[in-house]
Amino acid sequence: MSLDDDLAAWAASVRLPDAEAAAMFERIVRTPVVTPPAAPVSSPPAAAAGLDPSWWRHFSAGFAARMVASNRPVRRAA
Amino acid sequence: MDREAEFRRLYAAHRVAVHAYFTGRTADRQSAADLTQDVFLRVWQRLETVADLPADRQRAWIFTVARNLSVDAHRHQLTQAGTEQALALARRDPPEPASAPVIAAERVAVVGAAIARLPEQQRVTLAMATAGQLTSAEIAAALGVPAGTVRYRLSLARRAVAAALDRYDEPREDQ
Repeated sequence: MSLDDDLAAWAASVRLPDAEAAAMFERIVRTPVVTPPAAPVSSPPAAAAGLDPSWWRHFSAGFAARMVASNRPVRRAA
Repeated sequence: MDREAEFRRLYAAHRVAVHAYFTGRTADRQSAADLTQDVFLRVWQRLETVADLPADRQRAWIFTVARNLSVDAHRHQLTQAGTEQALALARRDPPEPASAPVIAAERVAVVGAAIARLPEQQRVTLAMATAGQLTSAEIAAALGVPAGTVRYRLSLARRAVAAALDRYDEPREDQ
């Protein structure tokens, strides 16, 4: 007996029997298919919430003032 | 699309190979059957997706599901337990050589025990080649490894099984 014959005999011993495979098939096809819910109709995106544009003006003005003040020569005490 | 007819086609085409894959992974017949059912349940649920793929991609899709299932944590525990149980059975000494009517069954047991002792990658590859009847190229595509690697694993596995059969045959030749 060749190795291939021995392996074929082993393969036959572990193979799923046809009756069991047919029962498995029936169990699966009786399972209801779960359909994903339909995607909702997308509405146009709402205007993005964000900071009031005036924030930038206030920030820039404050930033500039701090930069100027920080570069001013230190006044030495007399 | 006739869902059941399409599923029947996929089931017929891949069921044996998927079961062989899990036989190699788990070394346990019942776990292999349960996991095979889980794979094809997912195919049934996602049939529209799978049916649209070319044939070679269908096999790849199915085996990706199979690999993911087999590494799932819960399944892994069951798999390990099943493997240990099967290996414990396999480690038992093979029965003494007997008269002709039982020799064939004993040889199958020797082959099964030798396969159960193989490293997992070799065991899976050999199971897919023998029980799954897949070519090296098909196994390579299913497992995502080079065909040369599959051939190498097959060679090692076959050598190990042949050695186990030689050890089994030796005592009888002395008689």
